[in-house]
Amino acid sequence: MLEIKDLKASINKKAILKGLNLTIKPGELHAIMGPNGSGKSTLANILSGKEGYEISGELNFNGESIKEISVEKRAQKGIFLAFQYPLEIPGVNTNNFLKTSLNSVRKARGEKELDTLSFLKLIKKTSYELGIDEGILSRQLNVGFSGGEKKKNEILQMKILNPKLSILDETDSGLDIDAIKIVAKGVNTLRNDKKSFLIITHYQRLLDYIKPDFVHVLSHGKIVKTGCSELAQELEKTGYKKIN
Amino acid sequence: MNQNFQINSKQIDKIQKITEEEKNFRIKNLEIFKEEGFPSKKLEDWKFSDFKRIVDNNFDELDTKTVVSHFDKVDLLKDFEHNYIFLVNGNLHSSNFDFEDKNKIKINSYDKSINYEINKNPLVCLNQAFAENGYSLEIDKNYKFNKVLVIYNIFTNDIKNKILNNKNKIRVNENSELHTIEYTINESKFKFINNVLENIILEKNSKLKNLNIQRKKNEGIFHKYLKNNLSLNSNYTNLIFSSGTKFNKLDIECNLIDQNINCNILSALFLGNNEHNEIKTCINHLAPNCKSYQQVKNVLNSNGKGIFQGKIYVKDLAQKTDAYQLGKALLLDDNAEFNSKPELEIYADDVKCSHGSSSGSIDEDSIYYMMSRGLSREQSKKLLIKGFLSDIVEHIKSPSIKKFVENKLEEQISEN
Ligand SMILES: Nc1ncnc2c1ncn2[C@@H]1O[C@H](COP(=O)(O)OP(=O)(O)OP(=O)(O)O)[C@@H](O)[C@H]1O
Ligand SMILES: [Mg+2]
Repeated sequence: MLEIKDLKASINKKAILKGLNLTIKPGELHAIMGPNGSGKSTLANILSGKEGYEISGELNFNGESIKEISVEKRAQKGIFLAFQYPLEIPGVNTNNFLKTSLNSVRKARGEKELDTLSFLKLIKKTSYELGIDEGILSRQLNVGFSGGEKKKNEILQMKILNPKLSILDETDSGLDIDAIKIVAKGVNTLRNDKKSFLIITHYQRLLDYIKPDFVHVLSHGKIVKTGCSELAQELEKTGYKKIN
Repeated sequence: MNQNFQINSKQIDKIQKITEEEKNFRIKNLEIFKEEGFPSKKLEDWKFSDFKRIVDNNFDELDTKTVVSHFDKVDLLKDFEHNYIFLVNGNLHSSNFDFEDKNKIKINSYDKSINYEINKNPLVCLNQAFAENGYSLEIDKNYKFNKVLVIYNIFTNDIKNKILNNKNKIRVNENSELHTIEYTINESKFKFINNVLENIILEKNSKLKNLNIQRKKNEGIFHKYLKNNLSLNSNYTNLIFSSGTKFNKLDIECNLIDQNINCNILSALFLGNNEHNEIKTCINHLAPNCKSYQQVKNVLNSNGKGIFQGKIYVKDLAQKTDAYQLGKALLLDDNAEFNSKPELEIYADDVKCSHGSSSGSIDEDSIYYMMSRGLSREQSKKLLIKGFLSDIVEHIKSPSIKKFVENKLEEQISEN
């Protein structure tokens, strides 16, 4: 699914990722933990195609190099990033945005675009399943949403777009227990042997609900340790100091 | 004064059936205009819109003679049911009020009333010297329009090197309501100037909502001085949109002469290459407990220029005034320009006045966010632009009219 080899990235001459290797196979769920500023969001952004980084190394998605592929093409190929800080877009209705988004992805996949009615049906069903208040969907995209509502909206978008690779950048940060369960439910109901996940988190708590196949520690732009789910529990107790 | 600009005081002699007083008034206005010439940026009120330069750059010759033009027909808007009047080169041509009680409506070809006031705007003086046509509309007491009135403002394809001076008047009497859409259709392939003086009178408890938009992008040069007198409990809203005109200056004076008046000036403009739009307002709060709300939003593309000069005047006895003013621009190009100059003159102490202006460019992080959901850069940018203008469009209550305006904006955004 995803193959990252010796990825180095810098911004304004500042090196952030310093030779990162990571392979995620279909059906696998990987968690990435690591201290603040270690480069986790940078990795997520680069995978989604954000511009502005100087990059070297290999970046393959389903056997194809995606280094030169634009953000929207990557989304259309099935890469989804739930933002650490979702943006507020004034004047853009959430429902309309989700519909436009879904239809551009569907179009790229060669599927029929959804009309308003079928879209509304889908969104109603999905938000009900996840326990997300439909009220937010008729509002402007993320404008005035609480921190938790923004994160839930990201999970809703993930569910609707049905991506092959979902990257969650600290989606659980700042959430109450019920909201964390919603995030977990979003992931677990998508999870199957074809889909992959990369979950960036600071807390073991989310991993109680989503069992990862691998846990990596990212520090100073490199993966310095890889283990199974027990590693997360260990880190919760000891912190990152021992690893470095 | 431009060598090839022919103004001839003999033209005033030819105006029929006027009193000596009126004639003298016209001559006086002409003299002032001759002295001042076309307003240049040296005048404070014109510092962002150098009209003299516009004239010099666009015309080798220019005259003010009235024209009789051939007019076939234009297709009526199908987007919503409406009454209509046709103005051809500013002159009232015909009208249709099939949705209304016709006894309640007076429509005439020209407003003859003159208040013999000299305005300091030289273009108003020029208008006061020569204008002898336009339209005058009066709505009787206690009558609420069933459907919107569309004012088809048509310029024929033979209009060339002209200044058309028109004078209009709308009076809405007590307890009456009117909703108008001024829809400009410019069929001329040549350049001309349309210089309008318009007077709106809202009597007690009356309501007028006016919306401005053009059929499509055009080369016209427009100036309008709009003088509104608003009475007790009246409600005035002016919604200004654009499909793109080369030059447009709207100078709006609102006199809130009694209590509990609500006055709204709202604008959402997308200005493309070399389009110039100025909205200048002067809201005179002359009585207590009135509310005025002004919001002007411009999206400016390559070399587009947008100006909002808004003035709020609050007289000493106009306590409990609530006045708000905001100018906001989204710049899509480094060469685009937005000038916003708020001006407050407040003599009452118990008032709520706020004003502000801001301009910024497209937020790249927002574009990135939207693209990460599969939208193209163009789609994302368009959504941001429409989003920026949307709170103005939201003021349109009728869904079909809203859709109509949204489509026009969409066209304008897509073309650029
Ligand atoms: N545009 C930028 N310009 C300069 N430095 C940047 C830029 N973006 C990120 N960085 C730096 O790169 C480093 C990694 O940032 P990143 O956001 O990837 O960290 P993170 O691991 O996600 O941290 P956190 O856990 O706090 O979210 C930080 O030191 C950050 O300041
Ligand atoms: Mg981060």
